[in-house]
Amino acid sequence: MPKPYKAHTAITGPLARRQTLRDLAQVLPLFVVLFFLFGGAVVLAVLQSFGYAPWFGINEFPSTHYYERLWLSADFWLSLGYTLYYAIAATLIGLVISIPLSIALCARFKASRIFSALIRLPLMVPYSVGIALALVMLGNGGLLSRFSAFIGWIDDPAQFPLILRTHWGWGIIAVYVWKQVPFMTLALAAVLVRKGDDTHEAALVLGATSSQIFWRVTLPQIMPGIVSASLICFAFNIGAFEAPFILGGGYPDTLPVLAWRYFQDANYAFQLQGMAVVVSLALVSGLILSLYLLAYRRYERARGRV
Amino acid sequence: MTQVQLKNLSKVFSGAPAVDAIDLDVVSGEFLVLLGPSGCGKTTTLRMVCGLEQPTSGSIWFNEADVTQVCVQNRRVGLVSQRFGLFPHMTVEQNVAFGLSVRGLPAELQKKQVNEMLDIVHLSEFANRFPSQLSGGQCQRVAIARTLVTKPDVLLLDEPMASLDTLLRAQMRQFIRDLHDEYGMTTLLVTHDQVEAMDLADRIAVIFDGRIAQLATPEEIYQNPVNERTARFMGHSNIFECTPSSDGHIESPFGRLTLGTPARPRANQPTKAMLRFESIQIDSHKSDTQHNVLKGTIKRAEFLGAMMRYTLQVAQGTLTVEEASTNIRKTGEVVSISLPPEQIWLLDASA
Repeated sequence: MPKPYKAHTAITGPLARRQTLRDLAQVLPLFVVLFFLFGGAVVLAVLQSFGYAPWFGINEFPSTHYYERLWLSADFWLSLGYTLYYAIAATLIGLVISIPLSIALCARFKASRIFSALIRLPLMVPYSVGIALALVMLGNGGLLSRFSAFIGWIDDPAQFPLILRTHWGWGIIAVYVWKQVPFMTLALAAVLVRKGDDTHEAALVLGATSSQIFWRVTLPQIMPGIVSASLICFAFNIGAFEAPFILGGGYPDTLPVLAWRYFQDANYAFQLQGMAVVVSLALVSGLILSLYLLAYRRYERARGRV
Repeated sequence: MTQVQLKNLSKVFSGAPAVDAIDLDVVSGEFLVLLGPSGCGKTTTLRMVCGLEQPTSGSIWFNEADVTQVCVQNRRVGLVSQRFGLFPHMTVEQNVAFGLSVRGLPAELQKKQVNEMLDIVHLSEFANRFPSQLSGGQCQRVAIARTLVTKPDVLLLDEPMASLDTLLRAQMRQFIRDLHDEYGMTTLLVTHDQVEAMDLADRIAVIFDGRIAQLATPEEIYQNPVNERTARFMGHSNIFECTPSSDGHIESPFGRLTLGTPARPRANQPTKAMLRFESIQIDSHKSDTQHNVLKGTIKRAEFLGAMMRYTLQVAQGTLTVEEASTNIRKTGEVVSISLPPEQIWLLDASA
C-alpha cells in the first residue's frame, strides 16, 4: 500500500538554516539601531532623570527629585500646553488643508505634473529654509507687513499684527503646516487611489450630493490614511525644536526648547533635569498617541474593519 | 416604465472614438444586453446612459425627455457594477438604506423598505454584517438590493457577474431575470459572455469597435448572424468559403450543398457560410441520396462532459460536429453526416 503523501509547508534542512541566517542578517541593522542606539539611549535618559549620572559625579538613584521639581512648576505645564497646542493645531490645520487637496489631486489633477510637483516642493526644501522664509515673509519687517503698509492697510510695517515670536505661535504653526501638508496630501492620495472610484460612483448614482459623499463615503474610507498621517506629523511636531526656538514667543518655551536650555547649562545637574523633561515629553506623547490609536481601533471595530 | 433612446451617441477619448454614433431604442420594460469583446465601447455606452460619462456628441432620451445634460443623481437610474461598489464601512442594512437616507426618507420608512428588500434578496440574516464578511454572490445581492430599493426607472448592470464562479453565475442569472420579470423595469446589461447574454436578453445589441453590428433577439443573432465576426463571437461554428448559385445551392469544400433559404449575397460571388457545430447530425444509416448527406472520417474526438466534439475530414475540408456524449465514437471511424439545409447560413461580407 503506498505511503500517504506528507505535505510540507516549510523548507527544512541546511537550506532553511541558510535562509534563516540570511533573514537575520537583513534585519540586523534594524535591531542594532533599535536596541543599542535607541534602546540604550532611552535607558540612559530614564536613569539620568532618576538621578543616575556617575560620570558627572552625581548618583542619587533612585530619586524623583527632578520630576518633582519639574511637575510642581507651573511653567512646566505652560510649556507642555504650548507644545501640545502647536503640535495639535498644526496637525489639524494640516489635515483640513490636505484632505480636500488630496481629493482634488485624485479627482481632477491626476495627470497634472505641474500640480504634483507644486505639492511635493516643500518636501524637498529643508526645515531651516522654511523657518527663514517665515521670517522673511511674516516678520514685522517682512514682505507681508511691508506690502500691507504699501497698499495703505497700515501706516507703518511695525503696526503689522504680531505673527512671529508670540505664544499664539502662528509662525511655528505656519512652518509645520507648510512642511507637512505635502506629506499628508501624498499619503491620503495614495489611500484614495487604492480605494478607487467605485464607491464614489455608487453613491452618486444612488442620489447622494457631493457633501453627503464626502462625509459618509469618502472620509470614513480614508480614515486609515488620516490616522497614519496625523500620527506621524503629530509625533514630529511635538518633538520639533528649530521652529519653536527661532519663531516662538520666548519663556516659557516649548518642552523641546526647555530641554535644550537645560542641556546648555554649565551646571551638570541641569542635564538630569533636561532628561526629566525629555522623558516627560515622551510619556505625554506616547500616552496621547496610544489613546488616539485606541479610539481609532474602536472606531474601526465598529465598522467591521479590525 | 421607461423607454431609453440613444440618438447618434458618440464618445471620443484622446482622439479615439470609443462609441461611434450609436442609435438604439430600448423598449419600456425590455431586458437589453450590450454584448461585445473588451474595449468595444459597451461599458462607455452604459456609463453615458447612467450619467457618469458625458457624450462627445448625440443625445440620450428617457421617454420623451432629453436627459443628456441631466446630472446622474437626477436620472433615476440604478447601477450595479462589476466590483459592486459596496461601502466597506457600512453594514448590509446601512448599504441598502443609503439611497433612501440621502433622499431624506423617514427612518421608519427606510427600515421597512430595507427589510422588505433584504427579504427579496434572501439576506435578512446578514443585515448586520459588513461587506468584507460576505461571499461574492452575497455582495452582488446587496448591490442589487441597494439599487432596487431606490426604485430606479432604468436598471443598468455592468458585468455584474464577472467576478463570480461559474455555478454562482448561473444562479445569479436566474435571480436577475426573475427580479426583472417581477419589477418589469427597463434593464440594460453589459457583458462579454454570450451565454449570459442569450440567457437573459429579450434582445441583444452586438457591439464591435464602438458600433452596433447587430441588434436582434438571441435566437436570431445565434442562428442568423449578420457577419463572420458576430458568428464567431456568438459561439462555435464551422465557417467555410463558398460560392452561392441562383438555384439555392452553394459550391463548398465539401461539395455542392443545398440551402434552405435563397442566397442573400449575390449569386456567383464568393462568400462564407456558417453552420453551428451542433446543427450537424451524425447518422451512420443515412442515405447518400438525401440532401447534404456526406461521408466523413473522425480525425479527433474530444470529451466535453455532456457533449462529444468530433473533428471530421469531409471531402476537401474539415468540419467540427458536436453531439451528446451518450454514444462515443472512435477516431478513424467513417460516419455519415447530415447538414440540414435550413441551418446553413450565408454570411454577408459587406455587413
